Amino acid sequence: MTNTVGQSRLASLVVALVVALAIVVVLFPFLWIFLASIKPASVVALPDVWTFSPTARNWNDVLLGSDVPKNILNSLIVSVVTVSVALFTGAPAAYSFSRYKTGAGFRFTILAAEMMPPAILILPLFLILYQLGLIDSLMGVILAHLTFVVPVITWFLIGFFDDVPRELEDQAMIDGYTRFQAFYKVILPAIRPGIAAAAVFGFVLSWNDMFYALILTGGESKTLPVAIAGFWTFRGIDMGKMAVAILIAVVPILIVSFFIQKHLVRGLGGGAVKF
Amino acid sequence: MSLRYRLILPLTLLLAAVMAYPLVFSAWISLHDYRLTRLYDVRFRGLDNYLYIFGDAPFLKAMTNTLMFVAGAVSLELVLGLGLALLLQRLVRFQNFARAVLLAPMFITPIAVGLMFRFMLSSELGVIPHYLRLMGLGVDWFSADLALFSLMLIDAWQWTPFMLLMFLAGLEALPRSPFEAAKVDGASPWMTFWHVTLPMLRPVILVALIIRALDAFKVFEYVYAITRGGPGDATEVILFHIYKTGFRFFRMGEAAAMAFILIAITLVLVVILYSAMQRK
Repeated sequence: MTNTVGQSRLASLVVALVVALAIVVVLFPFLWIFLASIKPASVVALPDVWTFSPTARNWNDVLLGSDVPKNILNSLIVSVVTVSVALFTGAPAAYSFSRYKTGAGFRFTILAAEMMPPAILILPLFLILYQLGLIDSLMGVILAHLTFVVPVITWFLIGFFDDVPRELEDQAMIDGYTRFQAFYKVILPAIRPGIAAAAVFGFVLSWNDMFYALILTGGESKTLPVAIAGFWTFRGIDMGKMAVAILIAVVPILIVSFFIQKHLVRGLGGGAVKF
Repeated sequence: MSLRYRLILPLTLLLAAVMAYPLVFSAWISLHDYRLTRLYDVRFRGLDNYLYIFGDAPFLKAMTNTLMFVAGAVSLELVLGLGLALLLQRLVRFQNFARAVLLAPMFITPIAVGLMFRFMLSSELGVIPHYLRLMGLGVDWFSADLALFSLMLIDAWQWTPFMLLMFLAGLEALPRSPFEAAKVDGASPWMTFWHVTLPMLRPVILVALIIRALDAFKVFEYVYAITRGGPGDATEVILFHIYKTGFRFFRMGEAAAMAFILIAITLVLVVILYSAMQRK
């Protein structure tokens, strides 16, 4: 980085201080919500208590005495099924869009589908699922989540397929593979990191969704984000328990997302943006 | 059928079922007086729903709120993201650690972000108003005047990382020679930024801006978690308004018409985005 050469010590210090401040701004909410999760009920509603005797009571109540484990399971099922379907349908299509110049039309359609606001699809989806008897079922949420996870994963994979040199499958076909065999025995393994990143990103999107799940689930089928919102209603708040549920929803995602950060820009660009 | 079409067949069938069919159905709904409470009596209204919402004050207010939210939040994120990216590039140590931490907010569920900030900014429970009061500043973050702005700040907390991610990648990919030339010519850091860095980053900035704008139009969770559109209609954004019209007031026809206005805006932005991405 040429442009950093010759930076004075004072400048370096100022840079470090501002970045440290930004880190504090990012981390403080997590710290505060963690403290709320271990505060006794008597002090959780007081804004400035730093000294208190920590309690595991909220964690116990949520993990052993609430619906949250069921909500976690629901969210997991929805995300895993959605991502699997998206990979099976999206990967071959993305390969086709990348290899055959099937026209800009398809790429544009996928991008437009990815950007479609959920408000547009929720009305017809609700009515269709209602007629099929799939309201309050995981199946309904999965179908709804497919509407955004499939385009995102397909868009992601187009970018990674574009990076694989054509010589790779030419060589495989000289070796006696058919084009399809070359696709799933040679090309797919070659972009394994890309597939993993797309799968994780799709999982995160599905896991994080509240809009569709709020309208399409209830009772037994609630996903975790809907359950979290349920801790703070017009009837009152249960701050400590809500804090626990938030941490359960957030911490695993932070850990897995850490591994896809470096593939994310490539994926979001979808083979169109070369940075 | 040749392989290229067989490969896209599963995707085409799936998207036809979960997207194309609902979209067509939605278009049909938008032309009818379609109420969840009167499913037996659905009447054709032609374009009346569209004509109606264009004169409907709550819809126009929700559109105005949304446009203000998008403009405010996205500009804030652009400035903060660009600033942080430039600083991070100059950070001497712990660069990877700082980057990983600063990107974190964009991955977590927006409803959690909304509830965390509702808790921290609440006038009675909140830690931030408490310390501001100790400094002599009484700020009611969710009052009618400030609520929309507070939602923009929350959006900026969560999504500045996206801008940062894009700009870091953009900066890394810039060629070195223009910077060396600027240095030889004795350009100040500010001039280098304004005349060298910024013009070269422009394609990345445009793409990041549009992606964020498209996403900001979908704001829902912060509003649902914190203000529910209030106080009054100060934070009634378009997605929340469609949700209310369709699922609280059961007026599906009008809600679908509003959704199609949103599709039109979305498609215009996507066309710009697509051509911006292809230009490289």
